Amino acid sequence: MVKVTIDGTELEFAAGTSLFDACRTARGEALPHFCYHPDLSVAGVCRLCQVEVEGMPKLTIACNTTVREGMVVHTRSEKVRRAAQQILEMHLINHPVDCPICDQAGECGLQDQYMTYGLYESEVGKSDKVHKAKVQVIGPRVVLDKERCVLCSRCVRFCDEVTRTGELGIFNRGDRAEIGVAPGRQLDNAYSLNTVDICPVGALTSLDFRFKKRVWLLRSTPSLCHGCATGCSVRVDHEAGTVYRLKPRRNPAVNGAWMCDEGRDTYRELHADTRLREPLLRRDGALRPATWPEAWATLAAAAGPAAPLGFAVVSPRQSLEEIALFAHLAAVLGAPAAGVSGGAREADRGEGDDLLRSADRAPNRAALAWLGLDEPAGADLAARVRAARGAVLVYGADPAADAPGWREAVAGRTVIHLGTHRNATAESADIVIPLGAWAEKDGLLVNRQGRVQASRRAIARPGLAQEDWRFLADWLAAAGATEFPASLPDLRRWVAGRVPALAGVDLNALPPEGLVPGAVAAGAGGER
Amino acid sequence: MNGKVHGYGGKMTLWERLYLGEIFRGLGITIRHVIRNLLHTGDMPTVQYPEEHRAYSPRFRGRHRLMKREDGTPRCVACMMCSTACPADCIHIVAEEHPDPAIEKAPASFEIDLLRCVYCGLCEEACPCDAIRMDTGIYDLAADSREKFWVDKEFLLNNTTDGTR
Amino acid sequence: MDLVLTTFLKMAFILAVILGLVPVLIWAERKGSAFIQDRTGPNRAGIAGIRLAGLIHPIADVLKLLFKEDVRPAGVHRVMYALAPFLVFFVSLLTYAVIPFGDYLEVGGRRIPLVVADLDVGILYVLAIASLGTYGIVMGGWASNNKYTFLGAVRSTSQMISYEISMGLALMGLLLVSESLRLTDVVAGQGQLLWGFLPRWGVVVQPLGAILFMTAAFAETNRNPFDLPEGESELVSGYHLEYSSMKFALFFMAEYTNLVVASALIATLYFGGWNIPWLSRAVIEARAGVLLPALLAAHVAVCALAAALYLRRASRERGKFGDARDREPGLMAGVCVVAGLAGLAALALRPWEIGPAGASLLATVLQVGAFVGKVVFFCWFFIWVRWTLPRFRYDQLMHLGWKVMLPLALANLVVTAVVAAFV
Repeated sequence: MVKVTIDGTELEFAAGTSLFDACRTARGEALPHFCYHPDLSVAGVCRLCQVEVEGMPKLTIACNTTVREGMVVHTRSEKVRRAAQQILEMHLINHPVDCPICDQAGECGLQDQYMTYGLYESEVGKSDKVHKAKVQVIGPRVVLDKERCVLCSRCVRFCDEVTRTGELGIFNRGDRAEIGVAPGRQLDNAYSLNTVDICPVGALTSLDFRFKKRVWLLRSTPSLCHGCATGCSVRVDHEAGTVYRLKPRRNPAVNGAWMCDEGRDTYRELHADTRLREPLLRRDGALRPATWPEAWATLAAAAGPAAPLGFAVVSPRQSLEEIALFAHLAAVLGAPAAGVSGGAREADRGEGDDLLRSADRAPNRAALAWLGLDEPAGADLAARVRAARGAVLVYGADPAADAPGWREAVAGRTVIHLGTHRNATAESADIVIPLGAWAEKDGLLVNRQGRVQASRRAIARPGLAQEDWRFLADWLAAAGATEFPASLPDLRRWVAGRVPALAGVDLNALPPEGLVPGAVAAGAGGER
Repeated sequence: MNGKVHGYGGKMTLWERLYLGEIFRGLGITIRHVIRNLLHTGDMPTVQYPEEHRAYSPRFRGRHRLMKREDGTPRCVACMMCSTACPADCIHIVAEEHPDPAIEKAPASFEIDLLRCVYCGLCEEACPCDAIRMDTGIYDLAADSREKFWVDKEFLLNNTTDGTR
Repeated sequence: MDLVLTTFLKMAFILAVILGLVPVLIWAERKGSAFIQDRTGPNRAGIAGIRLAGLIHPIADVLKLLFKEDVRPAGVHRVMYALAPFLVFFVSLLTYAVIPFGDYLEVGGRRIPLVVADLDVGILYVLAIASLGTYGIVMGGWASNNKYTFLGAVRSTSQMISYEISMGLALMGLLLVSESLRLTDVVAGQGQLLWGFLPRWGVVVQPLGAILFMTAAFAETNRNPFDLPEGESELVSGYHLEYSSMKFALFFMAEYTNLVVASALIATLYFGGWNIPWLSRAVIEARAGVLLPALLAAHVAVCALAAALYLRRASRERGKFGDARDREPGLMAGVCVVAGLAGLAALALRPWEIGPAGASLLATVLQVGAFVGKVVFFCWFFIWVRWTLPRFRYDQLMHLGWKVMLPLALANLVVTAVVAAFV
């Protein structure tokens, strides 16, 4: 440990700590900066984070300095403030100041730091600025504006160090220096939108989000990506009931500061035209909209105390609480003899890599194992369904599309589908119940590390759709169960009591980065 | 008119308490007005509205208009500053790509709900491009349906006639 | 047969005058209030640009009311609800039966008295009918099934009871002076002169009674400052709140016919009725050869003045509106010129050589004209007072009725009785 005095306060830091991080701790806020990023190498090109270190003849950049014993640092002196202002003026010499049309406006490093450290009268006329290419589409998802760039090189370092694809580089010199794509290449790696995230200005913007919404109108909700078993921490940016984008939320234990481009697209399914907005009942051979009382009456006749449930299938895309409550409901409705399955094992597979993307595209498959549900292969699932007698209940999954032989197995039987979209199973079902999609409800996911993380509700459910656990609890009550949760915290306590792995874990107070319960951590904790 | 003013519970003289005299004094005042207005009809402050208009200050905030570039396209770049500043939430803009990369952004639609508008002028203040102005001086908005008060980009660009009628 | 015919003709005349006066009064109320408050008042409605300073507005109002939906709220007493406006309007017309609007009309040597029913107990009849009007208001207010209308009806009743007494006592003072309950006698008595130079009008011999009666008349007609049954500040619009369309119009018209009744009563009882002061029938008939040409000359002069004023306006406001309204002043000037020319033509017929039959007719016309003029003046007085005074508070209303007017009326009666007994 070394002792450092920053702005008059003596603090202790581990040896080798960057002075930038030390100053962030001491000040409670970061120093002005563009090029520094905790998950990338130090470049030291923006020169904004200069601080005064006693004994040094000139100001020094904090990001490229490590703490030393007895260091006395000043970050708020007039000299430091003037340095930051002058460097900022340099950065802005050739900046087009086209904030009105820039998507970065509102979350722009230049804007923020000008308001904090700048506030000077510009001495550069608009006509004197060096103009460069604008609106260059450099990949399937990214637009480049070379004028706005401050050459911090974050994006170049990201492509070199994280994805190791090296598409980007800085070309030319002096005031003609600019970011560009290597000749003959495109910025088309599977993580390209992270360059947009880390770009401190509006040089790199997202083609998908382009001009959709001004960022200051968005509200953010901390959530989880439901795209694969990695379970990246994300931020859902939404306004007036519509989700506009997903952004990674820094979680060193899972995803660092990154997320994949595919995961960013998952918000689209929330607003798909195929969303279920009201209960559907099959009448005269077609699914027709119905009211909730009608739906409840039909449900009670199809799978109630009078008519035992034959088989129940739940998707590993549902949350831990939902799966647990659903399994309990199936048991109450008489299905345990035939068993509750987690859906077809072949479903939800995709391309994976060693960075973030997991080949298992189900975000909560680990929870199935915790709850003791098995996942038969598709043909096996169909056979087991055929062996059971009575109605078939499907929750979230789409076995009609995934499991071979499913349609034949359920032919002539009542199929109840609880879900969010009009998928193949819903189309062939007799009773379709609309429930909330992932951003419309609170839920816990267990990722491939066995880490339990919380996903938070961001927007409202469409139409008459109900919240999943409430619907399941209502059904439990209607089915005559004596035990059913009264609230979500209540439900989580009940789940923790049923899963041995969760012994002693308070699911209602999970840390932001999630938690790996001790019993599971030994086997799965190391994977990243 | 310039008689004594009594506070609540003030003492009145006997003459005033007789009431009758005061009634006739009041009648005298009102008939003076009638006669004056009969003889000098033209001096009445009433403005014969549809034919006559009161003169407003040049700073008067009337119905909005959108400014044009020299080629006739809207000057607006759909930055949403006005709709952000709008306290009545009456400006609705959808942005689109402009074919010229030097302009880059343009409004695909620019709609104002004139019934919601409170004519505060904050949109003018917020606009970085001087694209929206409220200097038309048009204040007599009338239409036979609510939908006609929801005016679009074309209307706001060609705002010389009152199309809400 | 003659009696029936003449009675019907007289009734038709009265109805025509009253129903013709109602829209004019509505116009006068609106225009008068506007001028009192420095506004221009109605001046928009017109037929082919002719607006007559807003006189067309009542026509537009009536058309509008005719075509309005007749809304009947839930929970009303159907029969009473429908009957109330008719009752109010009907009763308001009844009083005219006994009011003489002229001395007599001489036709073919026969003198037709210009009163529909010359009852011996005319004044009692007036008092009886006047209190009936409240029934309509009470019925309407109660049958509407609305607390505001009901409160308005209750107020109307209590106000009627409070002021009926003062009104009756004030009238008794007048009876002692006129020594007759017959209204024609009361009017004829006022044609004489007091001490040779003062008209022996009710207001001269019964000044306090006149003030009390007029005040009570304001209260009986529910006019400001006694319009608490309407009291829009607290009762929305009082007893006729739930009425719409022509039923509302009937209430509205009844208010103005009541106004005319009250004015006619005041004029008849206290202001000489059809008498023209210092110009008795005999004098008129004797001087007809001078009077008629003088009147015609005055008519021509007035027409000429009006035509000149209209022409001035026409030149000043040329093209002011840019539509048919610009033609109005010119057109009106033309009408005035035509009227003036008609007067000149009448002068050319040598009116100074008028015969005795013509002189008698002239006297009748002048007397009826004097009566109508007095009625119109008091109608305007009602309007004038309404736009001058604020409405009473309810306790003030009761205080005035019971603690001021009742003792004064009693004192007036006693003093009058003593004077009448000893003089």
